[in-house]
Amino acid sequence: MNTVDMQQLKAGEVNLGTSIMAVQFDKGVVIGADSRTTTGSYIANRVTDKLTHVHDRVYCCRSGSAADTQAVADIVHYYLQMYSQQYGAPPSVHTAATLFEKLCYENKDQLLAGIIVAGWDREVGPSVYNIPVGGGLFRQPWAIGGSGSTYVYGYCDATYQEGWGKDETVNFVKNTLALAMSRDGSSGGVIRLAVITEDGVERLFIPGNELPRFWEGKEVLGQDMNKTFTHLAQMEIEA
Amino acid sequence: MDSSNIYKKSGFDFSNQIRNNFLAAKGVPVPKATSTGTTIVGCLFKDGIVLGADTRATAGEIIADKNCEKVVNPSCCGAGTAADTEFTTALISSNLELHSLSTGRKPRVVTAMTMLKQMLFQYQGHIGAALVLGGVDVTGPHLFTIHPHGSTDKLPYVTMGSGSLAAMAVFEAGWKAGMERQEAIDLVSAAISAGIFNDLGSGSNVDVCVITKERTDMLRNYIKPNERVTKERHYKFTRGTTAYQSENIRKYIVDESITYLTGSATTATTAEEAMDVS
Amino acid sequence: MSHYTRTQSQQHPTQRQFNPYTENGGTILAIAGADFSVIAGDTRQSEGYSIQTRYAPKVFKLTDKAVLAVNGFAADGNMFVKKVKQRLEWYRHAHSKDMPLRSIARLIQTMLYAQRFFPYYVYNILGGIEEDGTGAVYSFDPVGSYEREACRAAGSAQSLVQPFLDNQIYFKNQTPVLGTSHPTHLPLRHVVQLVIDSFTSATERHIEVGDGVELYIILARGRGTQGLDSFKDVQELTPHAEGERLFVLRRELKKD
Repeated sequence: MNTVDMQQLKAGEVNLGTSIMAVQFDKGVVIGADSRTTTGSYIANRVTDKLTHVHDRVYCCRSGSAADTQAVADIVHYYLQMYSQQYGAPPSVHTAATLFEKLCYENKDQLLAGIIVAGWDREVGPSVYNIPVGGGLFRQPWAIGGSGSTYVYGYCDATYQEGWGKDETVNFVKNTLALAMSRDGSSGGVIRLAVITEDGVERLFIPGNELPRFWEGKEVLGQDMNKTFTHLAQMEIEA
Repeated sequence: MDSSNIYKKSGFDFSNQIRNNFLAAKGVPVPKATSTGTTIVGCLFKDGIVLGADTRATAGEIIADKNCEKVVNPSCCGAGTAADTEFTTALISSNLELHSLSTGRKPRVVTAMTMLKQMLFQYQGHIGAALVLGGVDVTGPHLFTIHPHGSTDKLPYVTMGSGSLAAMAVFEAGWKAGMERQEAIDLVSAAISAGIFNDLGSGSNVDVCVITKERTDMLRNYIKPNERVTKERHYKFTRGTTAYQSENIRKYIVDESITYLTGSATTATTAEEAMDVS
Repeated sequence: MSHYTRTQSQQHPTQRQFNPYTENGGTILAIAGADFSVIAGDTRQSEGYSIQTRYAPKVFKLTDKAVLAVNGFAADGNMFVKKVKQRLEWYRHAHSKDMPLRSIARLIQTMLYAQRFFPYYVYNILGGIEEDGTGAVYSFDPVGSYEREACRAAGSAQSLVQPFLDNQIYFKNQTPVLGTSHPTHLPLRHVVQLVIDSFTSATERHIEVGDGVELYIILARGRGTQGLDSFKDVQELTPHAEGERLFVLRRELKKD
């Protein structure tokens, strides 16, 4: 039996080396992503929106190949439009996630797509589904994905608590993504967030120069880092 | 799908594939398609979109065309395999026209973008078309990049091709929201020039295309910073330089002599004149 | 059903290796006259689709009567020229005179062949004046095979320039007009014009050629500067008019 190397990008393919996240809270879900799209070492888009609308209260976070995830999201978007026309009611998040899973599983040898589906529906309220590369469908209270996620599993495990409100959840997503982006070279740019509740979808945006900051080594490098660097620059000139 | 020819299906013809794979395995070199190592850019401004392109086409390290047109379509620039960009845009432009006729609406940029990305995704990157698509429709100005695998990006300023890094550096330094028409043309020209002078795959002239709600202006060879210099010598060969082994001169002019069967030439003319009158 | 699953990379093992060589583009060219020699090279140095510098000389003065052009891998080229110059200096200290051109050619052969199994990735063209006062051009392959010729182009645009030279210098594919014959040696002015036109033409059609061209002109002992006067900005590199005289002529080329 032969299998092709699944997790391999084709030459020149556009990659979403990514940090994505979705977290459930009492009234809804908070989803977030970095904004970097790369081709090799070149940043093809530094303000990408990886939070993709598939229905009124259902969004997906895309990671993997840009072409594959866009194509899959477009197909699901189309199916959900047909669904709501035929049944006269919005689809559940589970329905959307199942469609994603079906496409990702049945075409696993042709796709590189790791997708998180999240949203709000009348049946269960807020929910988050993780669909890793190759398929599979897992409902989780929080999910992280993309190349940057590997750096922050520990942080999420240690930090997440049930029963948070919107603001606490937004902060958790913001901090997690900022940490992932600082460690992962394929992630970066700005943070894009969306809060999906029964009432609607609220989009939030954190510019690259306003990201949460953590330990930056001032204790080691000295309090005034500019002073240190000026000193070094002068030494170079003298030498 | 129905096709006009009952013997031949529409779309690509793969009938030579087995033979060509066999030849390639035997070591016969595979013919190379002309790749347009290119700088193409697009930029949003106050009233619309400015597209730009260089005019060099290369075959390996040889310059195949010094003044080719990469603004394939008044709303689309192509990089990558030349044939692929030309055929994909022509096909989508045709389908867009039919779509517009059947819906009775003016076509939109997103429609063109969606048709292009779906076609390119279907072919899994084997159609090597890298496109910058820009235009103004009823919903306003839009600018996209489309990669050969079918991914798209919507941005206020975009670059593609081998000179894209040089051109993007200019955009990142100089782009502002709500630029005037001339400002945008100047910025696009500067971005293309950066590609022309710093990327070996790009060269020759700057083509610019300005798209607004009202009209599209194709400014072919907007800047020509690389005119050919005059040569030191004339290379005209004197008559008799080319050797030949035999000479064969044929006469193509047939000599005719006219013999009038009735009457003289003068009477014939008179007869004609008489007929004209009647 | 087999329990083994193999990925494609396992089926076709590939070995990756450090490649010590780079191709830095550009073209060099030399033409020998009856009592002069012209050696030229463009000044662009590139790697892939990027220009590393617009001015990196490929033609170097060795002695008052010998000039060496190197093309291929720039790092090897520069190192090779450095080592040749060092050997020529040692010769001067030992024999109180410059090494004759034909001896420099043989020296270069031995130096190249010494690196037979890790060659300098460089094509060399040596131009100058022989001891008998004739103009000469020697061309080498990377491992030291060489021959004396009347003209030679090498480098990335060799395939564009050499046929032009064959036609204009050797008069290949040109039959002389009845009652005349082709000259065996062309005058200096004519040769310099051909060299400049070779480079402007190569710049038009080859992406790695451009930015500038440097022509070195070596005149035999006692030969006047006739043929050189019509070109402006010719700079003399030799301090006095006795002995062989060396000139350099620089021209701009297109930068796209």
